[in-house]
Amino acid sequence: MKSPYSELLAVLSRHRGVIGSVVVSERDGIAVDSNAQIGVHAEAVAALAASLHRKARLACGAAGCGTVTFLRLDAERGGICAAGRDDLVLVTISEARANIGLLRVEMMRAAKALT
Amino acid sequence: MRTAVEPWIEEPLLRFIDDARVRLAVLLESSGRVLAQHGFTRAIDVMSACALAAAINASAAEIGRQLDGTPFTTLHHPGQERQIFLGVLPTPRGAHVLLTVFDEATSIGLVRLYFAELTARVAAATPPAPVPTPAPGLVDFETDLNRNLAKLFGRI
Repeated sequence: MKSPYSELLAVLSRHRGVIGSVVVSERDGIAVDSNAQIGVHAEAVAALAASLHRKARLACGAAGCGTVTFLRLDAERGGICAAGRDDLVLVTISEARANIGLLRVEMMRAAKALT
Repeated sequence: MRTAVEPWIEEPLLRFIDDARVRLAVLLESSGRVLAQHGFTRAIDVMSACALAAAINASAAEIGRQLDGTPFTTLHHPGQERQIFLGVLPTPRGAHVLLTVFDEATSIGLVRLYFAELTARVAAATPPAPVPTPAPGLVDFETDLNRNLAKLFGRI
């Protein structure tokens, strides 16, 4: 079944090196919609990334930095990026070969469409 | 204060509590007999929680059977500040039930994620079932319940 986020997720998942993308509720940690390759545990990533985004938002608030606009987590074989708006967070899971700059631009644009 | 009546439950449950950041947790048999608890300070509260959880589980299972042909196995109720999650863990010794209470320190997504891990860990850690015993009668049930509560709250 298609959701209002299906097209947005499909566009992100077509980027080179992106193996999954999810729209998740920050408060509940439950995936609203996802587009992920076989073997990617999108629901688990969604729950953990939503928690991470929430803590980052609280940390930035406490530090007086304002609203979190983009969160990037680099790891040995890839990374996770998140961009949120209101209670919804857009999360992408990527391999190391992904062009993060391009992905960031696309995610920031897509995050504006989250309602 | 002990966490579990039987030692094999303790490690998976403590890990769940640590990972999922829940406030209260109680593991019980589907009959309502307590197996482990975390966060409760009074035996009477554990007893009430177990009785209510067993009743909720039985009702939810029956509603599921009536509506869908299969019992509902998880239930989530979000309150204003605290939320409850109740889930069934199938084990070689029969179905156990986990009732947990959490707040904004975690989320239902995380609780569900770590509950799935707990299910796998408990199933792997459960020792083989002993000789099958008939369902407990009222006297046995009361005796077992009191013995388990006494163990959990250090009276044995």
